[in-house]
Amino acid sequence: MESGILVKLRNEAILSFMGEPKTWLERILNRVYAIPSVAQLWASRAARRSAALVAGDSLIPFTRLDKPLSAARGVLITTGGVHLKTQPPFDMENRDGDASYREIPDNVALDEITITHKYYDHRDADADLNVIFPLAHFHELVRRGVVGSLASRHFGFMGHIEGEQLATLMQRSAPEVAAKLRAEGVDFAFLTPA
Amino acid sequence: MGLIARTLERADIATVSVSLARDLTEAVGAPRAVFVKWPLGHPLGEPHAPLQQRTVIFRALSLLVTASQPGVIEDLGLRWRREVYTEPDWSKLEGIKP
Repeated sequence: MESGILVKLRNEAILSFMGEPKTWLERILNRVYAIPSVAQLWASRAARRSAALVAGDSLIPFTRLDKPLSAARGVLITTGGVHLKTQPPFDMENRDGDASYREIPDNVALDEITITHKYYDHRDADADLNVIFPLAHFHELVRRGVVGSLASRHFGFMGHIEGEQLATLMQRSAPEVAAKLRAEGVDFAFLTPA
Repeated sequence: MGLIARTLERADIATVSVSLARDLTEAVGAPRAVFVKWPLGHPLGEPHAPLQQRTVIFRALSLLVTASQPGVIEDLGLRWRREVYTEPDWSKLEGIKP
């Protein structure tokens, strides 16, 4: 009984610290998966499930960047659960994940951004957003003339999408984002995972 | 992430992904990716390590402009917390000249 209360207290402490509900088990799993070789084992297992997703579509689409980087417009896309504090957080309750996306204005103040994603330990990304969403670096690259320009908005997704949500991602969210990027003349995307 | 990249490439947008999960990236057929065997949640490395972060960006953008075939995954061979980083030479980023 006493230990139950302790666990509850600890969970509440974590909850207030992390800003999102994570159980002890999830916290421990975050730690375990943070070990690179364990992550690779997970990747191998996930790969076997995912290979079926692209079966019958073995041709990998490929578009060359047809202009110099210094004249190209780029966009950042992350599946690390990045979004504005004013936007609804990603749905952590659905076991299939959340295939929706959030638009992040290019001129956003970094303290307006937060991360909702309980499947990885994002304390380092919380401390320095560049770990997962390198907006500050890309602004610097534009200033230096290495990259031509950036899109007016970037896109935050949540990884770990399966089942019905995967269908939503492929049939709705991803094509929608592609259309928005095309309309804005975006030439290339830099993608980062969780 | 690889699936989103594929959708973008079909819409004539070139992509480069950072991969922390090589087998997964390979299985979904990401068009171009650089792989780092680092902890999940750290695609660009450690917090407040701008040289490390910019090195990953540099290598990724290099692949973006030089890859000649789809599905290439370049292992950057960078060890976690055991590398010394310097500022990349951005003038060496190749691509189609104006």
